[in-house]
Formats: sequence, structure tokens, C-alpha cells
Amino acid sequence: MTVLGRRAPAVTGALSWLMSPKRLEGLRLQAFMVPIGVVFAVLFAIPLAQSLYFSVTDFNGYSTKVNFVGLENYRKIFTDPSMLAGLGFTLLYAIGTTVIVTVLAIPLAVLLNRRFFGRNVVRAVFFFPAIPSIAILGLVWAFILSPLGSGAINWLLDAVGGFGPVPWLSDGTLAQLSVIMVAVWSSTGWHAILYLAYLQAIPGDYYEAARVDGASARQAFFRITLPLLAPAVTVSSLLLMTGGLKVYDLPYTLTKGGPGYATFTITQSIIQSGIAQAKFGQASALAVVFMLVVGAIVALQLVLSRRLEGRLS
Amino acid sequence: MSLLRRSVATLAAAAAVLAGTAGCGSGSEGGGGKTKLSFFSWENEQTMKPLIDAFEKQNPGIDIEFSTAPPVAEYISTLQTRLVSGTAADVFVIAAENKTNLVQGGFVKDLTGKPFMANMSKFNTEAWSVDGKAYGMSISSWSAGILYNKDVLAKAGVTEFPTKWDDFIALCQKLKAAGTTPYYESATGLPLSIAALVGHENARQGGGVDAQIFAGQKKFGDLWTGPLTTYNQLFTSGVMTKDVVGLKGEQIVDEFTNGRVAMIAAGPWDVPTLRQKAPDLNLVFAGVPTPDGKPFWAGAASPGWAINAKTQHEKEAEAFLTYLGSKEAVTLFNKETAAMTTTSDVTPVVDKVLEPNLQALKEGAFYLPQIAWPRVQDALNTEMVAQIQLMIQGQAKPEDVAAALDNRLKSS
Repeated sequence: MTVLGRRAPAVTGALSWLMSPKRLEGLRLQAFMVPIGVVFAVLFAIPLAQSLYFSVTDFNGYSTKVNFVGLENYRKIFTDPSMLAGLGFTLLYAIGTTVIVTVLAIPLAVLLNRRFFGRNVVRAVFFFPAIPSIAILGLVWAFILSPLGSGAINWLLDAVGGFGPVPWLSDGTLAQLSVIMVAVWSSTGWHAILYLAYLQAIPGDYYEAARVDGASARQAFFRITLPLLAPAVTVSSLLLMTGGLKVYDLPYTLTKGGPGYATFTITQSIIQSGIAQAKFGQASALAVVFMLVVGAIVALQLVLSRRLEGRLS
Repeated sequence: MSLLRRSVATLAAAAAVLAGTAGCGSGSEGGGGKTKLSFFSWENEQTMKPLIDAFEKQNPGIDIEFSTAPPVAEYISTLQTRLVSGTAADVFVIAAENKTNLVQGGFVKDLTGKPFMANMSKFNTEAWSVDGKAYGMSISSWSAGILYNKDVLAKAGVTEFPTKWDDFIALCQKLKAAGTTPYYESATGLPLSIAALVGHENARQGGGVDAQIFAGQKKFGDLWTGPLTTYNQLFTSGVMTKDVVGLKGEQIVDEFTNGRVAMIAAGPWDVPTLRQKAPDLNLVFAGVPTPDGKPFWAGAASPGWAINAKTQHEKEAEAFLTYLGSKEAVTLFNKETAAMTTTSDVTPVVDKVLEPNLQALKEGAFYLPQIAWPRVQDALNTEMVAQIQLMIQGQAKPEDVAAALDNRLKSS
């Protein structure tokens, strides 16, 4: 009785706190987090946990009987030349497209921000390559970059300069360059529009004041435009880097990963091992390693971007 | 409290919706007492619909629930997911890429000795058998070789297509000297002529060499180095350039259609396009010339239809396969797909240009390594294509290609 008598006020107090309007309001607001929480759990946390589990098993994607194999799958991926080649090209692609698109998109955005006849049409034209599926673009570009004399670019080179045909997709180095070039072509316009949105938020007064002070266009660009675009650079380069590291469809439709393993990507390797070759465990190990690599690269990039932002602003 | 009650009610409703959708699965009892038999195909609906309609008309108690995914990777992955989740169809396609996993995982029924299998060719049945047990019913095969424009060769003074490899190289050089691009063959996948040359070498060694390689009695080099060296002469003699590494099959057909190349490696699947784009071309198919003058072809049994080991409708599934193997269905299938059917009671109607291909199937002069390999087909195929591309680029020797295949088999 004594005990009950002592606990009763505590229980009542807890209940009244639980049912208090403030608490209910908090619960109501937290309920809005449920959908994203479910999405996060179903599409990220659970698959990630499953990948971690499968990466130490011999699961083949068919049989429900799995055996624990320790770190064997990790040993295999670090000794497989095709996977190492895939990692090499994936990094080249991600870094290459990020740097080139950024270097091209900022000046393009500055140009598209100026007033000229047909500006909206030109903006739409540059934005257009980002609309069709990249897989379809890959198939179209495979014909444009055909290594034969009848390929569109080779035909043009022959007609204009009388040279060629250039083995765009038949030579390892040229195939890598071609894949990166097509990616740059398809992404530059989209990222220029992103920069354009940030550019339009820069007050015109800054430029007016700079002009009054006698600053040249070059000085205005480097002292006003670029520093104020630093947050946009962070967003754009993050999108490019994460997209580049996950790339699959463009190299696959253009070259199927060849010649040899020249344009083979990590994602292609994961899909191929996990599905076509029924080596789910090995593919999961690769996915785990890849996730850690992507996480490290993106974290490094964010740190560098923030420092750059701080230095420019 | 009312907020709490509302939340609980919402969650309950969501759970009910999820539970409702989770109930979907393989075939079951449909409306009107009909049995629903699910069928997962990699042929599209347009191709299979006439057969399904005819089957349903003959079997009014069965409704076919059709689904499809394009071959190969998408089909394989979809079937894999459905099998693991227990929602796979009652009848589905067994292919080279999933044969080993389907059989080892116990996902397919043993069809050995079933009445509907009696009509199938021995070769096709063996292609989908493991340890003497048949797991797939395959009604057609294909063979691919060299397609040439007879008029272009006649202009060069060639009236008879060579059967010896050296003569073929000489013909190519003659055409090249006359300003005609002699020959194109895509190398984005396994070049068809390599498949034929390896098949020829396998036959020359008495057959079954792949089984010996997988049993550890022989190396890939014993079977592959010779044919790869022969094939590589196309590049060392200057007949083909390394450009073929970046050429897709359709680009090569396009070059042929427009008269920019005299000969191409091709299969039955290219004929409808060629007939449509260039109906006047004087087309002839020939086997791939070999060192000893006995032409060989790339080819294989087409994928088979298998019955899900966990089907609740075995009787209906067998009835469906019985129909698919019948004279009526095979004739319909041949009409819809122009496939070279191989069942005993139907003579397929094929384009006249494909008669040599059909003859090769009857003679058994065809081979495809991916079908001959008992396991790790995809891993070996990926390695093989990459290494052949490196060989074409001059970065690997034929023996390096064979050694890489040995390494891949060892590590898989």
C-alpha cells in the first residue's frame, strides 16, 4: 500500500505529461517525420544492413541457405583486376566530369544571365540535354561516335579537315574521354541553370558599386560573382561527384565497359556480380566498400568546399 | 486522445492497404472457378498472345496470367527476385545465364520422361539438362555465320564462298585491294566467328572438351589458343581494324545494308531488318571457314520453358507445356518469330536465306561456349569479351586470353 501510495502520484504525473497539449503538439509534429523515416528505413537502413550481412556470406541471390565466409568476399574484390579497373575509371569519370562541368557551367551561367535576343531559347537549348534518359543519349552518341568513317563526327572531320577516322570508342583512352565528354555535354546546361539561379540572387547594387569604383569585368567576376557562387559550387559539385561515382547507364550504353575494362564502372561490377553472376555476397562486399569510399570522398569534398567558401567570402 | 485514436486508425488503414497488396503472388484460383496459371516470359506479349489465346480457347478452365521482362539481365534479375520472395510464376524461361542456379536451387521441376518432351529434339533437351535430367522444354535453335552480298563477291570474281580460313583471308585481301571493305564483325560481345572456330576445334578434338576443362583435365588454352590465333589473323593481316571493338551489331548491319562492306557476321535475327531496309540485296549465308575446310557455325538451343518446382498447378502447367510443344503451337511460334523450330513434327518455314543455317542445325555443326560451359557462364563471358577486345587492340596474345579464362574459372 505504501509503495502503491508512493507511485500513484508519479504515474499520474507521467500520464498528465504524456497527454499535455505541448506533448501532443510535439507528437503531432513528429508524425510528419514518419513518412521520411519509413522511406529512410526501407530504402536505406534495411538494405544497408542486409548488404553488410550478405557481404560476409556466400549468398547467391537464389538459395535461402547461406554460409558465413568471413572476409573472403572482401579479399576477392581487392584481388580482382576487373574490379580495380572499374574503381579506377569510376574515380576518373567522377572527378573529370565534376571539374570540367564546373569550369564550363559557371561562365555559361554568366553568359546566360546577360540580356540578349532569344535568351530564353538559348537557355532551353542548353538545358535540353539533361531531359532525355541518359541511356537513350548513350545509344544515340554510340552512332555519333562510331569509329567508322560513316560515323557523324568522323564524317565531319573527313569533310572539314580530310582526316580520320578516329577510333573514338575502339581505343581505351579515347573511349574514356568520349564517355566523359558525353557526360559533360549532357550535364553542363543543367548545372549552368543551377548557377544561374544563384547568380540572379546576387544584388545588382554590388556590380553597380564595383563599376563606380572602376572595377573591370574580370575583377567583378572574381571578386563578386565567384565568391557569391561558392555555395552553388558546393551543391553542384556534390551532385556531380555523387552522380559520377554511381554512374552506370552512360558507359554501359556507349561501350558496355570496354574496350577491355577501360570504361568498366563499379556499379556495373556490382550489378554484374550480384545479378548475372549470382555472387550476391561478393557484390554486397563491393557495395559496402564503395559506400565507404563514396562517403569519404563526399565528406572530403564538403570540407574542402566549405573552406573554399570561407576563403572566397 | 482523439489525435492518438486518429493516428492509430490511420496506421491500421495503411497496414490494411499494405496487407492487401502483399497478397499478390503466383497463379491461383481465379473468378468463375478458373485456374490462374502464371507465365513469365522473355518473349513479348505480342509474340506470345496468339499462343496464349489458342491455349485458353482449348482449355477454358485455365487463365494464363502473362508477364514479361526483356532478355537477358532484366529477365534474370526479375525472376531471381520473384523466386527468392516466393512469387515466381508457375511457368518461366530457363536460360544459359540462370540454368545452374535454377537447378542447384531446386527451383525447377524435372521434366524427364514427360510425354510433351518426346517431341523435342535430343540436342535441345540436352542443352537444358543437368546430370541427365531435363529441366526445360526448348522448341527452337539458332545458328549464325557469315552473311555476304553475292553480287559484290561476283564483281570481285568470286563465285564460290571459301570453306578454308586461308582462302577466306585471301578473299578479304582481294576485296580490300579492289577498294571494298571486306568484312565486319562486332566484338562488343563474343565474336560469332570465334564461337564457330572454337566449336570446330572442339569437334576436331572429339567433342566434350569443355567438360574436361571444368573437370580440371584440360586448360582453356587446349581449346581456345588455336582458334583465337586463327581469328587474330583478321587483324594481323590488315583485313579488319581494331575499330570493330567499338562497333555494335546494328551498326554493322547498317554498313552492310548501305553496301559499305561485303561480308558480315550475322544471325537469323538480322534477316528481317535486312529484308526491310534492303529488299533487293542478294543475300547468302555461309558457315565460318575453318583451317581444314569444314565450315562451322555459332549457334545454340533457344531458352526453354520450365515449371516452377513450387507450383500449386502442376497439372495445368504441364497442360500448357504440352500445348506449347504441340504442332499447332510450334507452327504459330514459327509464324510469329520466324524461329528455326526443331520439334519432330513441324518443318519450320524460314526465309530462303536461312536454309544453310537450318541445314547446319540438322548436322549439329554449331557451338556456343556459354551453353557448353556448365557453370560460371556470365563471369567467363565477361572476361572472355574483355580479353578478346584487348587482343584485338594488340594488348594481349591469344594465349593470354585463354590464361585469363583459366584464372577466372579458378577464382569463381
